[in-house]
Amino acid sequence: MKSKECVAMILAGGQGSRLGILTKDVAKPAVPFGGKYRIIDFPLSNCTHSGITTVGVLTQYQPLELNTYIGNGQPWDLDRNDGGVYVLPPYVSAEKGEWYKGTANAIYQNIGFISKFDPEYVVILSGDHIYKMDYSLMIKAHKEANAAATIAVIEVPWDEASRFGIMNTDADLNIVEFEEKPANPKSNLASMGVYVFTWSILKKYLIADENDPQSDNDFGKNIIPKMLGDGNRLLAYKFDGYWKDVGTIQSLWEANMNLLSENPGYLLDDDDWKIFSRTPAMPPHYLAPTSRVKNCYITAGCEIEGDVENSVIFEGVKIEEGAVIRDSVLFPCCVVKKGATVNKAMIGTNAYIGQKAVIGSDDEDAIADFYNSKICSDDITLIGPDVVVEEGVKLGKCAMVTRNVKNKVEEKSAVDETSADIITA
Amino acid sequence: MENNNTLGLIFSGNPEVNLGELMKVRSLAAVPVGGRYRIVDFMLSNMVNSGIVNVGITTGTKHRSLSDHVGSGKAWDMARKTNGLFLIPPPETLDNNTRTLESIDFVNSAMSFLTRSRQDYVILSDCNTICSINFEDVIDKHFKNDADITVVYTEVGELTPKELGHHIMLDANADGSISDIQVYPQRQKTNLAYMNMMFIKKDLLIELVGDCLAHDKHSIAKDILLANLHKLRIFGYKFDGYKKTIDSIKSFFGFNLDLLDPNIRHELFGTNDARSIHTKVKDSVPTKYGREAEVKNSVIADGCTIEGRVENCIIFRGVKIGKNSVVKDAIIMQNSRIMDDCRVENAIFDKEVILCNGKKLIGQGTYPLVIGKRTIV
Repeated sequence: MKSKECVAMILAGGQGSRLGILTKDVAKPAVPFGGKYRIIDFPLSNCTHSGITTVGVLTQYQPLELNTYIGNGQPWDLDRNDGGVYVLPPYVSAEKGEWYKGTANAIYQNIGFISKFDPEYVVILSGDHIYKMDYSLMIKAHKEANAAATIAVIEVPWDEASRFGIMNTDADLNIVEFEEKPANPKSNLASMGVYVFTWSILKKYLIADENDPQSDNDFGKNIIPKMLGDGNRLLAYKFDGYWKDVGTIQSLWEANMNLLSENPGYLLDDDDWKIFSRTPAMPPHYLAPTSRVKNCYITAGCEIEGDVENSVIFEGVKIEEGAVIRDSVLFPCCVVKKGATVNKAMIGTNAYIGQKAVIGSDDEDAIADFYNSKICSDDITLIGPDVVVEEGVKLGKCAMVTRNVKNKVEEKSAVDETSADIITA
Repeated sequence: MENNNTLGLIFSGNPEVNLGELMKVRSLAAVPVGGRYRIVDFMLSNMVNSGIVNVGITTGTKHRSLSDHVGSGKAWDMARKTNGLFLIPPPETLDNNTRTLESIDFVNSAMSFLTRSRQDYVILSDCNTICSINFEDVIDKHFKNDADITVVYTEVGELTPKELGHHIMLDANADGSISDIQVYPQRQKTNLAYMNMMFIKKDLLIELVGDCLAHDKHSIAKDILLANLHKLRIFGYKFDGYKKTIDSIKSFFGFNLDLLDPNIRHELFGTNDARSIHTKVKDSVPTKYGREAEVKNSVIADGCTIEGRVENCIIFRGVKIGKNSVVKDAIIMQNSRIMDDCRVENAIFDKEVILCNGKKLIGQGTYPLVIGKRTIV
């Protein structure tokens, strides 16, 4: 194996439980975003454009869809004879086998993989952020500073700083202290979850950390404070572009809506830094004579007869005549039948919204059984993948719908099973 | 299932067909159609969807655009160790020939591809008849009839003398065998038209081509089919689906606008993955519609920014249409840009055309205006 200057490792094993039903069967990095992407397209495309062609993707939670999606890496130009993309699940060896216990442990368990390439530097990325970033510039800064680790930071509003991992630095951006979600932040430089490490140094710390039974095996909690404590040079690298954590339903919805604003903060349509994705073979979309489409993102395979405004529509979606869609995100291949209304909602892959059904209704007679303010905030309604909402059903806002919803009128004629179906919500 | 005993040979051109401005920079096979495709994508996908995994495409002059488009064949899942997609170099006599090269010359250019391939049977096809055909059915019929050659035909209505001038008309017996072949007839005697697709045993094709060239004969229709009408068992396979042959600007325009019909669209592109049409992937972003966009009855590909009015159009990838502009009954190819306050009707814009603010371009319904690649108006 030829040695590589740099290997990237993407932590893609997180469950993303705050995304509720969206991550029931798929890992967070495989969640759809922006009309035709998956979240992981962003770090993968960034790697390719930054000239990093050896990428390990660490999977653990519900990896099937993510593994299938990544495949041989061809959509990101990462099907290489030398390097390329590797999916790295936890494995069992002769002595023992175990799950990834924490972010640091996940890398520890893959020391063998990384060492095969004998890199100078390792870039650690997470699979749940939307941003475009040239990692090669960060590696350059890391090299020039001769740092042991460089951590990308972004300025966040002061009142939000206590939600992030905060870096306190000196004037030269040397990190003097790291605080995870501090109650009284001293700085507003938040860690973006993008790290560059000098591999020889990181390897020592990973081994020491693994031998420490008290450790949580986490980069933020354990490795970084330990390196700081030992007097290593840790550099903060300021990034001033668009960066969005899409870990909650609200932030995922917002990040989609950002695309529709006049100034989304970054250019998705940029020939020099395209975000690559696995493209389905679908014909261009069709807007019928009855359609009305304003301020939308629409992609291949859609057939639109209805009225759609301020919405992001993924591939293969059908919206029938008279249906009204507002401020919503419709995931691949979902169907909205005639006269249905969808208000401020995210509709999962392959979901079906029956005729004249209403999603995100304000009315008092709307079904409130699925109300879930823990997952859904800001009045957003979430319909799970493959869920069927039958004709005429009216669903209240701020709900997470995880199962098929039958029509109450029909329910009366077949009380036995359908009523039970609703009540167990 | 993959059909490991049949290979495909697609002709990227047809000496009888010239689409003028649209073919100035590219071969017939590489002419853009349907928002994100090239003509050849349909026949190539038909073959791949029929399980044929070894396909050659003949080339003439101007093959840059075609080779750029098909690349390694990856988009059709044809970048293989064995079999796959092959671009056949142009016939060697191309540079100093004194006559127009015909179909047999192009089969001859593919001779090493044919002889080196392991398959025993060949589907020969033009690229410019757009349809969704399953060749497995053609092959089944061929063996049931114990035929030497099976030709694919379709039923047509009354043709104009001009149309007859480039049609090969057939007549068939009750058992499906072909009883008559009329190449470019003056008068229409039957309503069965050959679709320029045939199935034949490879060894027989090689033998017939060798014979023809030895006798200075160059036309598959005349010198292979017609000449052997009573010597070989030539049978027909009737195709009943939607088909459109692109052989003029009019039929090019007509085919594109046919895609506004949902039934035709669904038949051609299939409703499941098994029949889908593959093409080169561009990684375009989804199309963005502005607040003032007003779009009716149009097929629109990814990567566009639409802020004006669009009606009855086929819009290719990466097209931008500015505010207050009206585009009707038009085909606008990749990366063309119509700025603000423009009006376009009955027009075909080739790739990368720029129409500056306030310009009007209006063609006739019967004769659309064609604007060449990279024109700035």
